[in-house]
Amino acid sequence: MSKLNATDIQGFVLRGYNMPYARYCFLHFEDAERACSLIHRLLPVITTGQRWDQGKPQSTVNIAFTHQGLISLELPIATLISFPVEFQQGMQERGGILGDTGVNSAEHWDQVWREGHVHAWLGIHALSPEALDARTTEMQTLMTETGGARLLASQDATAIVMDGKVTLKEHFGFTDGFGNPDYLGVCRSTQPGQGKLMPDGTWAPLATGELLLGYADEAGELPVAPVPHLLASNGTFMVYRKLHQNVGTFRHFLDKWGARYGAGDEFAREKLASKFIGRWRDGTPVDLSPDRPNSDIAQDPNQSTNFTYGNDAAGTRCPIGAHIRRVNPRDAFGFQGRLINRRRITRRGLPYGPFALEDNASAAQGPSELDATDRGVIFMVLNASISRQFEFVQQQWIAYGNDAHLGNEKDLLMGSHSEGEKYCIQGDTSPANPPFFCTGLPNFVELRGGEYFFLPSITALGMIAMDLVDPR
Amino acid sequence: MANQSGSVYGLTLLSPILDDERAVPSHDLQIRKYLATLPTGVDSPFAIAPGTHLARLVVMDDVIYVGMPACEEHLKSKYLIFESNCDGDLDKYLTGLATKIPEHLDAIWSHCTGYPGASDVPAFLRYMKACQIETTFFFAAVNDKSVTDTLIALQTQRAVADFIATHQGMDAAQTQREFIEFIRILKAAPPPPPGVMGAHRDIKTGGRNE
Repeated sequence: MSKLNATDIQGFVLRGYNMPYARYCFLHFEDAERACSLIHRLLPVITTGQRWDQGKPQSTVNIAFTHQGLISLELPIATLISFPVEFQQGMQERGGILGDTGVNSAEHWDQVWREGHVHAWLGIHALSPEALDARTTEMQTLMTETGGARLLASQDATAIVMDGKVTLKEHFGFTDGFGNPDYLGVCRSTQPGQGKLMPDGTWAPLATGELLLGYADEAGELPVAPVPHLLASNGTFMVYRKLHQNVGTFRHFLDKWGARYGAGDEFAREKLASKFIGRWRDGTPVDLSPDRPNSDIAQDPNQSTNFTYGNDAAGTRCPIGAHIRRVNPRDAFGFQGRLINRRRITRRGLPYGPFALEDNASAAQGPSELDATDRGVIFMVLNASISRQFEFVQQQWIAYGNDAHLGNEKDLLMGSHSEGEKYCIQGDTSPANPPFFCTGLPNFVELRGGEYFFLPSITALGMIAMDLVDPR
Repeated sequence: MANQSGSVYGLTLLSPILDDERAVPSHDLQIRKYLATLPTGVDSPFAIAPGTHLARLVVMDDVIYVGMPACEEHLKSKYLIFESNCDGDLDKYLTGLATKIPEHLDAIWSHCTGYPGASDVPAFLRYMKACQIETTFFFAAVNDKSVTDTLIALQTQRAVADFIATHQGMDAAQTQREFIEFIRILKAAPPPPPGVMGAHRDIKTGGRNE
């Protein structure tokens, strides 16, 4: 495995920037030639994967295109039809496979996603609001000067600040963003629990081709990719989903069932919350510390993602249906975890909207008022194959339970629930860890829109900008 | 015996499809069309006839040699493949098919060479057995229980989960009283008919995602 050329790969692919402010701009190309001149002007500005030896920049810029966007850029037809079918169709048309039905269906999406006019995602991340605005102005100037794109809408996202400190919390109060898979060549140091499980119980990075096009994947094959090879290589596919969080519904559900769980006190409510996710709110993995949160574990990279479910087959520590166990089953399906190595995804994202403290003021608002506030998480996925990785996880592990021996049950947190569904918490004979059922499952999360994007390499951006894409 | 796994029987048939160039559409296409419109769930022919755990009907046009160096070879005929994991005794199972779903069998197998029709049960049994080949692999999810026992087990699992969900936290004596009554009703309940147990899934399946 040769070293990756980090300067040819967009930085957003290789690392989570861990910057607290973001603005995602959605562009529409009016004219191919002018759009290409905009991309040409963007070339020196796009943030690459080059190391930040001089410290973090104040802001970053990255770009990705929808299939409609590539059509409007007038890429050759032989190239356009060589993209994977799911990318050509786009997220809205894949709604049936993703289970984006009912409240999650396109008719409930933000207008910008209903219309299907988004051609590009321009992602700006920044260390401060001032840097974010400055970079936005710079981008708008480029768009105006070239006439290359029209801004359809933009989405701000901001890390939640608590007691004056930037946190990794999301709106339900859980510390998020612990783990992402390690890939060969991508990570300078690997963290136990983040790659693939080896027969001797250690962890190794996944094949580069699970994240980047142009490299061998876990099957030893090059991922399905568009032609020419140079357009695809060092690029990846991105899934963008705006997930609204019904904070009032979540807290009300916790109140209702927490009062009946274990001792029915405040600690039982927290324990129940941990049984939903598989992590305590501070991030402590339930499988490592089933009885209480432990910040020593949560904050230790050698422990926070370093666990398996092999010794918890019955789910008495971490329930079989807990969110993190469903979406990253590790060794839960047997075969030393090998069944999941081609279903891993890299996640990026930030919360949006105001955080509501769990205090009296919030309680006075009532669940429906808390739900109505526009807040949630901008969830982005990077993977080499949207259908094999993201769509599989969404379809089989979130919207269905068969692989986990949970029949038709859906993920408690993310599932689009229908009447009669239950969430089962496996337990033991200890009064503090009883088996427990929650019924009457509401929808905690609602999809407000999204799309599939192609996130090209710097070389590919140059090819697009200079009309050099030649599939022959 | 390769066809038997505990109490479950593995039936595999290969029936040659009629080769008649005057038939328009061709017999294999007529089978494909009929199979594509077969109902699933409670109206499935394999839910109506007793004893099927899992059944598959496939039209095999030809085999293609994949390898190096390439070599062209063909089957003598197109075949209808019928695979079924079913309960126990083969004669009893085939007789059940012939008596419960003869119209489906005739609509499908009338496009196959030598098919005598389902109304003459002894001839039907002879024909099906003449088409039989040995089964060596079974559907992984089939255990050693009969279809009826499996349906009862699923019904029990669901009912007990519902009972727990509605009774957790209740006073012990009352829970016990209601549990005794619950068990009495559950034991007296008829086994659910095949094909009704699955909840409706409003999600597309198949394709490259599964």
